[in-house]
Amino acid sequence: MEQHETRQVTFYGEGAKLFGIYIVNILLTLVTLGLYYPWARAALLKYLYEESEFEGSRFTFHGTGKEMFIGFIKAIGIFLGLYCILFGAVATHNMTITLIGVAVFYIGFLLLIPIAIHGALRYRTSRSSWRGIHFGYRGDRKEFLNMFIVGSLITLCTFGIYGAWFVIEIRKYIFKHLRFGSISFSYEGEGSAFFWMNLKGYMLTLITFGIYSFWWAKDLFAYYVNNIRMYQGETALPFRSTATAGGYFKLIAVNILIIILSLGLATPWAIVRAMQFVFSNIHIDGPLDVNAITQTEADYSDATGEDLADMIDIGLV
Amino acid sequence: MYNFSVRYHDGRLSIAHDATLTLMPDHWLIHYRDPSGELTSVRWTLPGIVTDENFSHLFIFRFGEFPQQTIECKDGNLPESLKKRYPERPFFKRRVTDIFKLNNTTIAGVAFTVLMLIGLGYWFGLPWLAGAVAARFPTSAEIKMGDTMYENMIRAYEVDDQLTAKLNDFTKAIDFKTNYPIRVTVVTENDANAFALPGGNIVVFEGILRKMKTKEELAALLAHEVSHVHYRHSLRNIFRSLGGYLFLSLLLNDINGIVTILADNSNALANLTYSRELETEADTKGMDVLQSNGIRLQGFVDLFALLQSEHGDVGSLKLLSTHPLTEERLRAAEMIVRGQKGVVANRELEKYWQVIAAAEHK
Repeated sequence: MEQHETRQVTFYGEGAKLFGIYIVNILLTLVTLGLYYPWARAALLKYLYEESEFEGSRFTFHGTGKEMFIGFIKAIGIFLGLYCILFGAVATHNMTITLIGVAVFYIGFLLLIPIAIHGALRYRTSRSSWRGIHFGYRGDRKEFLNMFIVGSLITLCTFGIYGAWFVIEIRKYIFKHLRFGSISFSYEGEGSAFFWMNLKGYMLTLITFGIYSFWWAKDLFAYYVNNIRMYQGETALPFRSTATAGGYFKLIAVNILIIILSLGLATPWAIVRAMQFVFSNIHIDGPLDVNAITQTEADYSDATGEDLADMIDIGLV
Repeated sequence: MYNFSVRYHDGRLSIAHDATLTLMPDHWLIHYRDPSGELTSVRWTLPGIVTDENFSHLFIFRFGEFPQQTIECKDGNLPESLKKRYPERPFFKRRVTDIFKLNNTTIAGVAFTVLMLIGLGYWFGLPWLAGAVAARFPTSAEIKMGDTMYENMIRAYEVDDQLTAKLNDFTKAIDFKTNYPIRVTVVTENDANAFALPGGNIVVFEGILRKMKTKEELAALLAHEVSHVHYRHSLRNIFRSLGGYLFLSLLLNDINGIVTILADNSNALANLTYSRELETEADTKGMDVLQSNGIRLQGFVDLFALLQSEHGDVGSLKLLSTHPLTEERLRAAEMIVRGQKGVVANRELEKYWQVIAAAEHK
């Protein structure tokens, strides 16, 4: 029965090991007054990747602290520049200059977000591999930037309503340009369905004093996952979510308890639980020939985006 | 002993070959049967081999230009054999992160030690560092920073211009022995409170002025606040709390927090609590100032009594957080008062006090 073929990524990470990495990261970051941060991040990603297994092979993160350090420095530079403009303008005590300074500051941030997403996608995918085959992102920065600015402006003008369509548009764009060797992807979601789902989720969450939020979260996760397609040649392979509201509740309630009761120290265990939950609830259905994926991406290196995305803290996609 | 079973990826196709690795004197030989059954071998010359540094028990090596070839080996004897075969070429560097490959008890032990160190650093290292930084901070920059903070926070209050002018006259009649430009502002607030900003700005709430009965009380209050300025207490506090924020946000891996703090306005920073140590220092130095000006130290005792009656019990009220008053401070002041000598009548001070008292008690 070829029809029922399904595959999953399994996460084998352990809280104790992740905790060790965390502690060393924190200590070195403190001792170096934050400069170790990129290396800390590289170590964390490396660990998370190498504990993720698909078809008997682990994933690999090839990024290095040194590469990310360059991005980190660039990011800090840009941030400092923006803040200097803002504070400089405010310090003049001139109303017009202050307003211009504030405008430049916010426009700068608005431009930074898509650039950061783009950069992070380019960098992260190019540094991810499985069985030696690299991922890749082929989106165009200018195109993405345009889309992002237009989308945010419409969202602003429609008081956020267009946001649902905007999010879907971004996902479609990103998945369309995502590659895993010869495998390509697409996202099949629709703005209107996404909008109604969110409206319903929001309303019911209000009415039920938040209880419905777990169903809402489950729906959001399912809408994200179920609309992803993977293509190997002519074969389309759908992704399928098996997450339940109960599962979500258990994950979030226990994780909050873990983090609060340990004053944040047990965060690594919470991360491991979340990773396991996510991966165990995603299925890739259909006949995939795991031995026939060919290398297609070229070498790429520019790490600015990686850390920018982190600094602005946007949930990546 | 120089043969190991490995998985081999050629970097072009995602197939995993079960291969044998043979360690030759100047190269590695990887041989496997490809899907058609044909025996294939690959040669890796030593200089091109890169060890993938990871946290697991899997040994991974890569070779060549992008796209790289990869082998993965689970055999625990591999590092020993590599050392024997190629003594000049270390394949594994010692790293801090190697401890993760040890057992859980070791990890827990290390983690505990590190936590202890972090705790020590937070409780002892940070205040020391903040003090050191504050001590080296240029005075002109401090004054500038303090003035900016003052401008930001004074907007939240209603300034009493007349009383401010009178109080400044009073202040000028005392020699505080400081190079900071001391500027006092009176704001219309009923609470019995006052605070000092770095660089010489002191804000006095009208409520405390109204409750004062003698010029010595006012002089004591000002001397105390000026000591906070002169010994850079608020600067120390700011660095301390900045450091604390930095520390915690790093601990929680949250770079945003740092950015937020940098952008944060100064209000929160200015309303910080002084430690008991700093309060005591401000008291002692303030008393020295009164001594040298020939002003009666009884002012301190009265001031503390006033604050105590005003705020009742210690520590429970919000306002007390800026001046944690304790029974001890009152007792200490009473002790010192007994030892005072050389009280000088200061006519000028008395004159200005009368003006203020007249304005307050009309």
